[in-house]
Amino acid sequence: MTKLVVDQLQLSYDSTPILKGVSFELAAGQVVSLLGASGSGKTTLLRAIAGLESPSAGRILLDGQPLYDASANFNLPVEHRSLGLVFQSYALWPHRTVAQNVGYGLQLRKTGKAEIRERVQQVLDQLGLGALAERYPYQLSGGQQQRVAIARALVYNPPVILLDEPLSNLDAKLREEARAWLRELIVSLNLSALCVTHDQSEAMAMSDRILLLRNGRIEQAGAPAELYGSPVSLYAAEFMGANNRLQARVGRREGDKVLLQGEGWQVAGQARGALSEGGHADVVVRLEKLRVLDAPADNAIRARLVTSMYLGDRWEYLFHQGDLRLRAYGAEARAPGDYWVAFPPGDTWAFAAEA
Amino acid sequence: MSNSAVSSSASRPRDAATRCAPRLGLGQALRWLVIAVVCVVVLAPLSLVLYQSLLSAPFFMQDKALGLDAYRFVFEDPDFWQSLYNSLAIAGGMVLIAVPLGGVLAFLMVRTDLPGRRWIEPLLLTPVFVSPMVLAFGYVVAAGPVGFYSQWFKALFGLDAVPWNIYSLTSIAVIAGLTHVPHIYLYASAALRNLGSDVEEAARIAGASPFRVARDVSLPMVMPSMLFSGVLVLFLGFEIFGLPLVLGDPEGHLVLATYLYKLTNKLGIPSYHLMAAVAVCLIAITFPLVLAQRALLKRANRFVTVKGKAGRQHALSLGPWRWLALAIVGLWLLLTVALPISGIALRSVVSHWGEGVTLTDSLTLDHFRMVLEEDNLVRAILNTLGVGVIGGALAVGFYTLVGFAGHRRHDFASRLIDYLVLLPRAVPGILAGLAFLWVFLFVPGLQDVKSSMFSIWIAYTVVWLAYGMRLVQSALLQVGPELEEAARSVGASRARASLDVTLPLIRFGLISSWLLIFMIFEREYSTAVYLLSPGTEVIGSLLVSLWATGAVDAVAALSVINILMVGVGLAVALRLGVKLHD
Repeated sequence: MTKLVVDQLQLSYDSTPILKGVSFELAAGQVVSLLGASGSGKTTLLRAIAGLESPSAGRILLDGQPLYDASANFNLPVEHRSLGLVFQSYALWPHRTVAQNVGYGLQLRKTGKAEIRERVQQVLDQLGLGALAERYPYQLSGGQQQRVAIARALVYNPPVILLDEPLSNLDAKLREEARAWLRELIVSLNLSALCVTHDQSEAMAMSDRILLLRNGRIEQAGAPAELYGSPVSLYAAEFMGANNRLQARVGRREGDKVLLQGEGWQVAGQARGALSEGGHADVVVRLEKLRVLDAPADNAIRARLVTSMYLGDRWEYLFHQGDLRLRAYGAEARAPGDYWVAFPPGDTWAFAAEA
Repeated sequence: MSNSAVSSSASRPRDAATRCAPRLGLGQALRWLVIAVVCVVVLAPLSLVLYQSLLSAPFFMQDKALGLDAYRFVFEDPDFWQSLYNSLAIAGGMVLIAVPLGGVLAFLMVRTDLPGRRWIEPLLLTPVFVSPMVLAFGYVVAAGPVGFYSQWFKALFGLDAVPWNIYSLTSIAVIAGLTHVPHIYLYASAALRNLGSDVEEAARIAGASPFRVARDVSLPMVMPSMLFSGVLVLFLGFEIFGLPLVLGDPEGHLVLATYLYKLTNKLGIPSYHLMAAVAVCLIAITFPLVLAQRALLKRANRFVTVKGKAGRQHALSLGPWRWLALAIVGLWLLLTVALPISGIALRSVVSHWGEGVTLTDSLTLDHFRMVLEEDNLVRAILNTLGVGVIGGALAVGFYTLVGFAGHRRHDFASRLIDYLVLLPRAVPGILAGLAFLWVFLFVPGLQDVKSSMFSIWIAYTVVWLAYGMRLVQSALLQVGPELEEAARSVGASRARASLDVTLPLIRFGLISSWLLIFMIFEREYSTAVYLLSPGTEVIGSLLVSLWATGAVDAVAALSVINILMVGVGLAVALRLGVKLHD
């Protein structure tokens, strides 16, 4: 069942267009991430759905009812949308206790005092904050503040919960735990969630679908595995994962099989999009797709190992071959020297070089 | 700017320890010297006041004895209790008037689309920079029984007398309240500006209407600042001297500060011991208020720990109501700025004024000519400029030294400075002037200082120590600690880092402070009252003594000259983009 529909949404600050016609749908019980670099418009899109920004064209529907409809000149005020929003800064009210922060939405909905107390306690218990109800925000750690912000957004059972960079204010160690905790919470409560993030691994871990935004447009939409495994553009390919990027001339092409040539090397790859023989291509291959071999192999480049870095669960190698710099992962420590780096043709993506 | 620190250590790669050790010592020595000076200039006058209050006669008399006689005399004087009551009433009235008005003004200026905000802002702050003496004269000549506007009002409506009386206690409280609105405005507007829009948006998301957001989130979050500035105004209410001196005189309303002033010759001999007793009572009221302010500020800062992104704040559209809002602001400006200042300006260019005098017949520039012919008045003008320009620069220099002595230190000495700086804040200017007079009389060898402008400068500098320190410290806090730490790490001593890195970076802040201190020193009057002697005349203190002799013409002309001096300072400050508040 479709929960939220955004249809051809446009928005400008003064005369600078920020959103240039964005459309997507959010199904009930789904987590969708808005992923993009800063300035891509992802936060603006979220705030427009919340009602904090004024779009100039398009529609936003919630459960089939319009929140915003440019053609009907209709814009529902923020406070009547009843969505839950978790701010990047948490935006906890410093003059209210945790319980007062969380209970405010219920108070505005004319809920009885006893029921407010009960529901606040219930949601605080759910988020592991049961003992902190009477504390003030400044007495909490960053992780606890984040949970209070989530509790505040959940307490009145909003149809959709919006999260603006929910993990970015936590330190790295805490962030991974919080990520799992948040995903578990969303799934176990069967929430429909829209989440803004600039971190691709966060987006992949958290969501069922990812919308990759670029300059106010959706570059690619799909399941995390789709975005990671078959990017439609150089931008999408480079945004996800850790990559090697090579410049090459396009040699022979048969279907989507293409021969890529550089200074003293050539490998077979997969053509993605329009590529003409003799033209230039940008080649992207994920670090974990390259294999390092001691002996010559099919579709491999001979390269000199310059240094290795120990990452705990694996090694990262740096190879030189002429002007070429290649990075690859491997399981064992290797002495500097010459090796063969093998390119899997299906995962060596060639895009037409951008002018 | 930090280049010099880099190059000096890079070009001389000698042993860092031997090179830095003597310099560190020099910096340390300077620091302790500054701390000692602050101790002396703050504590000496105050201890003298306390000591004097426990004597039965002025300290220079032979037959003095330790005891509580002075307090007994004061507490048995019904005038003392009356003036204490008046002070309480005026201070309370000021809070009741200034806090709501200042809050509303701040909201209109910061959060709404009030027309003409850019022009109103500097006007709003003028009462802070115009001497209360001048404002009081202004009210007398504009709206007193025979004031300009009173006469025109009577003529217009055919009345025998105006339906108001500016000499009543209520009027004094109202005028004091109106002229202290800017103090509230400054803090309330700063708090509103700092209020991140995210906390307000969070309330909208939760389902609150704009009105509920204001009631449940914005107002409570601005409350600590309002409370803080409310206590400030309460405290200033006990300090006011010029307004009640001029406006309270005709009906004999005394407040504590004017009671103290009138005590001077109560017993035929200088009644220093009585004045000291009143002074101690006054400080006993004001110092707790200063401490309360400090505590409130700490509480207010607690709210800043969760720092929201101060996003784009959308101005609330007032629609047709904005004309009403503009009318309210305009009315306040008219009553508080335009009325007294136009009154005094007009009075300075008429030969005389009263029942049946027409304006055009009596226009003259004689008063200004007269001022320029009198030696002591010319000297007063030059002295006032001197203490503002040169004295202001020296004062900022001193504040900077004190600022560095406490900068990013957390030892006993820096806490001591913190409290020492607060003390003079609790001492009304008139009292500080008196205390310094006693120091110059009491300490052998300082008699010559008493009759030089140095006495005025040192009193001014100490009285405005807390204000000046706040200006300098806010400039110092703008410099990131890592810039200084970087200088330390390449081998600069603390003093060296301050000199080569911090000082160049706060240059603009110091120039701004100089301008603000200039305006404050031009406006100051009460501190110089007891230090007035041939050679130490300044406009402020002369206004007080000339008013007492009834020389209205000279008072009006000098007032206008004083306003012009402050006005030039204000114009330069606005031109340079100096922030008039923090």
